[in-house]
Amino acid sequence: MKGSLRFADVTKAFRWQGLRSPHETVKGAFFHRRKRRQKSSREQYVALDCVDLQVSTGEAVALIGPNGSGKSTLLKLIGGILKPTSGTVEVAGRVTALIEVGAGFHPEITGRENVVINGMLLGLGRREIEERMQEIVDFADIGPFIDQPVKIYSSGMYVRLGFAVAVAADPDILLIDEVLAVGDEAFTRRCLDRLARMRQRGVTMVLVSHDLDLVTSFADRALYLNRGKIVAEGPADAVVARYRSDAAGGSGRDDQLPTRREDDDEMRWGNGDIEIDSVELLVGEKRSRLVAGGGPCSLRIGYSVHKQTDDFVFGVAWHRSDGTQVSGHNTDLAGLVPRRLETDGEVCCEYDSLQLAPGEYLVDVAIHARNGLAYDYWCDALKVRVTSEVEWPGVWSPPHRWRSTGPEWGKSTEYRRAAPEDTDE
Amino acid sequence: MTVIRILWRHRALIAVLVRRDLDARYRASVLGFFWSLINPLLLLAVYAVVFTYIFNPRFPGGDPYPLFLFSGLLPWLFFSGAVLDGSATLIDNGPLLAKVMCPPELFPAVTVFSHLIHHLLALPVLFLAMVASSVAGLHSFPWSFPLVVVALIPWLLTTGGAVFAISVLSVHYRDMRDLVGHLLNLLFFSSPIIYSLEGLQVPVMLHRVLALNPLASLVTVYRDAVFVGRVSSPQLWLVAFAVGVVSWLLGTRIFAAYRETVVEAV
Repeated sequence: MKGSLRFADVTKAFRWQGLRSPHETVKGAFFHRRKRRQKSSREQYVALDCVDLQVSTGEAVALIGPNGSGKSTLLKLIGGILKPTSGTVEVAGRVTALIEVGAGFHPEITGRENVVINGMLLGLGRREIEERMQEIVDFADIGPFIDQPVKIYSSGMYVRLGFAVAVAADPDILLIDEVLAVGDEAFTRRCLDRLARMRQRGVTMVLVSHDLDLVTSFADRALYLNRGKIVAEGPADAVVARYRSDAAGGSGRDDQLPTRREDDDEMRWGNGDIEIDSVELLVGEKRSRLVAGGGPCSLRIGYSVHKQTDDFVFGVAWHRSDGTQVSGHNTDLAGLVPRRLETDGEVCCEYDSLQLAPGEYLVDVAIHARNGLAYDYWCDALKVRVTSEVEWPGVWSPPHRWRSTGPEWGKSTEYRRAAPEDTDE
Repeated sequence: MTVIRILWRHRALIAVLVRRDLDARYRASVLGFFWSLINPLLLLAVYAVVFTYIFNPRFPGGDPYPLFLFSGLLPWLFFSGAVLDGSATLIDNGPLLAKVMCPPELFPAVTVFSHLIHHLLALPVLFLAMVASSVAGLHSFPWSFPLVVVALIPWLLTTGGAVFAISVLSVHYRDMRDLVGHLLNLLFFSSPIIYSLEGLQVPVMLHRVLALNPLASLVTVYRDAVFVGRVSSPQLWLVAFAVGVVSWLLGTRIFAAYRETVVEAV
């Protein structure tokens, strides 16, 4: 299927380079022949370690993780720039890499001529480029500079032109490596808009970024890489939350990093010391997945304890299915100091009035240590539908009234009804 | 033959990149493309003065010497220029290889073709010099001149093979460039460029060694066509083509062996 890609057990190792490597010179190659044969781990650096990955057409996937975790290597493997040391990489369709826009612009020739060459390097035919030239020039919006040699461009112009060519290349899969961080705000917004429209057209996107807000708003799914391994994988906001808590808790301690629970749902992880058994929405005394906006309700979390602890935080996060964060609260923020957790039981989070606009919400539930170490982190543990008589936009629906002395209003008898309400599943 | 297939698939891109190379070289200069005519013309003028009035080597078949030298030097400059540039081409285009997907085969090919074009632009100078010297009665006009097109085929193959091998080797072994410079020097003096094998008065052993130089046949068939005015013997043509084919096969084989690691090493 065009636009999909698959990694099966992919490992990528690099040979160390530098002065100590004996193979840098012809002389070295002759005098260190025997050494060359053996590939010891000392000579190799494993950038990606047995990575499995599947991305289907039209998905937007973000790769996050600390520097040197293998994100860019992964991207280059998708792009075919690097070949895996072992394992297989299957990529269907045309890939365009926005790894460094404007790479390969020749300084002496004009922007317009560079567009032709860059476009052809990205896989466009000459005629296609001529057809799209105006579009590219408009998008780059660098005025008369387009007919000047690239060497006199500012770095911003360089990036604008490079981006304009790359997105015009009409790929099935677009790889983006931190390139949105450059350019002024207006241009960045334009880039994002263009990317969003490409997504609508069904272009698959793989994004590397340290801008975590961008990741949560842009990607459906995120992969959290650390030292060449996928540590967590799931909905973008959940994985970002996980990454943030790791980063805050000192990601250097390898032994403390909880591993992905292979046997379980991919959207759930933790070391299992304490396990979430159930998550329920209670309206009145009844279990439901449907709650009227503004009404009371509570979340009930059932758990079992496998290892006693005195360091625990219960947390809940609400978000929309598009990744918009709605609210996050936990017992730590509420000022509850953990003392002892010995036996299985239930914890309830009660809302007097759920002031949410109508629509579907997803709830993540987590039990973790105060440094962020997850005992059980369950993304999308519950899907809740909030209903309302009126279709409010946004996520917040505060009780409010309009008061005035000037205009006169009559009372409407007709409401714009919310979508027909689903019954309990 | 995958190299040829890759090159053919990207022929439009190669054409554009060659143009970029030429364009960029002459963009900021007043005379522009005329430089590719002026360079060989100046070279020829210098030779004409030096080797007629200052130092006049004489041997059978080597008269007039400036033209003799020029006709051997032109294909050599094509070869050595391409090989020297070839040792840097992948390194210079490293950003492209690492950030944009493009087959590394493109760059050595572009190097070879832009040097070929420079060579083709110098040919009219050689042609006019031949016409002028025959009009002046210094030399009979070589009617075999058009054969230069055929003589260029083994040159192209040999140069192509050498550039492919050198380009990829110099990525992996950074001292390759210096080595190439010295090797080219050695090759220059052991090739019959400033002398001819026929007119050489040296010990038999040395003569045999010099005849082993693979480039000797290439220089000779080229010069036979454009200067001496005769068609080389079929054996010589065969040797020249064999050298070309072997060089091409060997060079592309070496390229293929190192191809996958180019991006990492660049």
